[in-house]
Amino acid sequence: MNLPTFTRRRASADTAKTTATSSVTYDQHHEQSRAAQRHADIWLTIGTALMGTFVLGFIGLPIFLRGVWLQRQAQKAGLSVRPIMVTLIGYLVVLDAFLNSIGWILDLGASHTLITRVFFTAWGNFVDNGYFWHYNELWIGGSSAPGEKGWEVTLIFTVFPMRVAAAIAFLQMKRWGHQWLTVTCWFGVVIWVGYVVNMTMYADIRFDGTVLPVVGWWLYDIFYITPFLAIPYLHTVNREIFSD
Amino acid sequence: MNEQDRKRKRALIVFQIVIYGFLLTMFLIQMNMYMNRDW
Repeated sequence: MNLPTFTRRRASADTAKTTATSSVTYDQHHEQSRAAQRHADIWLTIGTALMGTFVLGFIGLPIFLRGVWLQRQAQKAGLSVRPIMVTLIGYLVVLDAFLNSIGWILDLGASHTLITRVFFTAWGNFVDNGYFWHYNELWIGGSSAPGEKGWEVTLIFTVFPMRVAAAIAFLQMKRWGHQWLTVTCWFGVVIWVGYVVNMTMYADIRFDGTVLPVVGWWLYDIFYITPFLAIPYLHTVNREIFSD
Repeated sequence: MNEQDRKRKRALIVFQIVIYGFLLTMFLIQMNMYMNRDW
């Protein structure tokens, strides 16, 4: 196909390749790499921020993908940019921490707002009765499911902020970012083991009367296991690529 | 790949089998309850 959009893209990629491979000094190469990485990061950050809001996720995804594409182009052009895997894991962890935090902060602190009462109870009625059964009836409001508030407070105030900080440093290729991301991804294992056992212990409350019991909850929540999918990578990557 | 790397990879494979096995077990327990209860 020779559609103008495609040829323009190809042309710009070719130009980038020529610029990068033609003889440049180390400083110029460094500067070009920095600029290319920054350009891609702007798209990646905006895309992740939009996806982190839940409702604007469908706008955020294409913006994020454009960021990935820009970074790939820079890599192909020979510039020294961050490895794609580091980019994907870093932004995915930020997104996971944001999605978890925003949902649970709404349940904890804004449980009587119209948006929470509508969305949470509708979602609860569909897949998780913990967000429907006696909703807003305890002294703090929000979900009344046994154990739920303990998880909310613990994770919002400990592991999620740690995880965002670690992921940002990881994206900056800092050594402490790699170390702390490993720590918080292991914490993801703790979260999943604890939370799923809690769900199973109180399964009669969580699933009784829901539209799609068990399968619905797993379909929705399985995507949150992504942080600990990164554990094998974090333990086998060459640590020397992260600087002090 | 040296001995340490080999051991590390083996440990990570064991870890993944254990953790996904655990999640699958919990899912199957819930499915079993789903089939036996009037949810």
